[in-house]
Amino acid sequence: MFNRDFWSEIFMALRRNKLRTILTGFAISWGIFMLIILLSAGNGLKNGVTNNFSDRIKNTYTIWSSSTELPYKGHKAGRFIMLNNKDVQLIESLYQVEEVSPVLSKGGTIVFGEKSRSVEMEGVKPIYKKIDGIKILEGRFINENDMKNKMKVVVLDKDSNDELLRTTGETSLIGKTVYINDLSFTVIGVSKGMAFGEMGQCYAPYSTLKIVFNVNDFYQLSFTTKGLNTEKDNELFKTELKRKLAALHDFSPEDKRGVWIDSQMLNSLEAMRIFNTINIFIWVIGIAMLISGVVGVSNIMRITVKERTNEIGIRKALGAKPRSILLSIVMESLVITTIFGYIGMICGIGVMELVNMVLESSGNMSDSNGMSVFMNPTVDISIVISATLVLIISGVAAGFAPAWKSVKVKPIEAMNYR
Amino acid sequence: MIKLENINKTYFGAQPLHVLKGINLEVGDGELVSIMGASGSGKSTLLNILGILDNYDEGDYYLAGKLVKNLSENQAAEFRNKLIGFIFQSFNLIPFKTALENVALPLFYQGVNRKKRNTMAMEYLERFGLKDWADHYPNELSGGQKQRVSIARALVTSPKIILADEPTGALDSKTSAEVMQILRDVNASGITMVIVTHERGIANLTKKIVYLKDGVIESISENDPDKMDFTKEIK
Repeated sequence: MFNRDFWSEIFMALRRNKLRTILTGFAISWGIFMLIILLSAGNGLKNGVTNNFSDRIKNTYTIWSSSTELPYKGHKAGRFIMLNNKDVQLIESLYQVEEVSPVLSKGGTIVFGEKSRSVEMEGVKPIYKKIDGIKILEGRFINENDMKNKMKVVVLDKDSNDELLRTTGETSLIGKTVYINDLSFTVIGVSKGMAFGEMGQCYAPYSTLKIVFNVNDFYQLSFTTKGLNTEKDNELFKTELKRKLAALHDFSPEDKRGVWIDSQMLNSLEAMRIFNTINIFIWVIGIAMLISGVVGVSNIMRITVKERTNEIGIRKALGAKPRSILLSIVMESLVITTIFGYIGMICGIGVMELVNMVLESSGNMSDSNGMSVFMNPTVDISIVISATLVLIISGVAAGFAPAWKSVKVKPIEAMNYR
Repeated sequence: MIKLENINKTYFGAQPLHVLKGINLEVGDGELVSIMGASGSGKSTLLNILGILDNYDEGDYYLAGKLVKNLSENQAAEFRNKLIGFIFQSFNLIPFKTALENVALPLFYQGVNRKKRNTMAMEYLERFGLKDWADHYPNELSGGQKQRVSIARALVTSPKIILADEPTGALDSKTSAEVMQILRDVNASGITMVIVTHERGIANLTKKIVYLKDGVIESISENDPDKMDFTKEIK
């Protein structure tokens, strides 16, 4: 049955009806193509954003200072709450807290030879590397020894490092002395870093910065926790912490502001929730597209069979058995859906690979803070293949119903059909 | 070859139409028979029943000694393929196949391999002077050529009987004469032939004329085609 003649009959029928073949095929290719583009784009967005979190450990909290929104105990609204050592002590006293790192900040100018650059210095503890997911490109980060001995050492961001090195002929600043606000610091590392435009960002030991620049108040305080494993644990801890901080700084516990408390785990759960919603949305659209593809195929198959009623009648008069007619129509739709489904799949994957290549060569799509928003937009090949299979199977089913009907018609009626 | 006993056929539409009202007819081996009648007399319906392209409601139809009644689709296909060759007024060639492919098609359904199929089809095309037209599509052929292709297609399986429905209906008189000569030659080679026509000139070229009127056989007359000057009669 499925010999060379059978296939040449089918391909001849497809070739002789080019427009119809191409229109049907286009509907299928387009459906698969768009499905792949959609799913890949969704994945790209997800990969891009989760990449920002991936290097950070989950059990971390960051407290940001802010201004109050409500008047409280004689204080007017709009009072700015700065964090200080009392906050550190309060937090360290909580049994859920593991390690605390305040983030002192100090603006300044960094000078190396002839070169200079403005930087924001952050005085942090070694644990901050894990909390903020800092990537070290060269050298090392601040360690306990630096902290204990209040070493004047600094970790530069890559942009500042490159800027200071430019035209000096040096290849590395590690171990070299740089001047920050006229004080000498030794460079111990270079981080991938978050440059804020023209402003560099570098890290120095908390203890050093506190003494050298006499910084006591700060805007940011980060810490790691233990034993807070569920969303509920974290919500409770956050509420309790807010209440304690309100008492310490004398602002209303009802105040939505005053201090911001950011839980990495709650954030990432929130992000996951958003992505799940986006994912569902994409799948709904994708399935709708598949359905419209299937409807398109079945419509065209119906018309095809109608158009070919005469031919079917003639074939029957010449001795074609129902099975051979049924098979040839079904196989025609199978061939169309398979070939064009495959083309759509290849095109979709090709386009996304191209996008991926462009993204990778341009260092991924990212905002000015070096946060990626779109990354590795690829889709699981098994999903693509099963979507194509669904389309092929429904294409065959779509061809089967009208074919069955036409086979049942008396040959003379089929031949006289207009 | 053909034996009809009390064949009845009614079309059930909005108004039931009793087309054939008890047809009894016998056609022997090698006969050349025409069925004549006005339009609506039921002659085409009768031919369709003979060709198993349509079913009948009552009576018995024997083809080559076998009862043709309540056949499955597969059996009907087998009968049509092995025993019957069709020639239609509108040729009924498949438009996207060449003359050669059209002629070879019935052999495809017999499972004959491609090479043998094409050789056989080419032999028949050659016999009707269409060798040079083998690779042309039907829309590139004249009416006479198309009808000769369809005759070749009807003959390629060496059927026992040829059924022709107004074979000259779409042709001019000169071509009609040629086609009729071909059909007579085919009949002379021993193949039974039934021709449905409303043209007396065509019927006069057959050896037996069956007159059909309002679904019944009015009369059957013997005829000697060689006595006729058919070129004049066709006018």
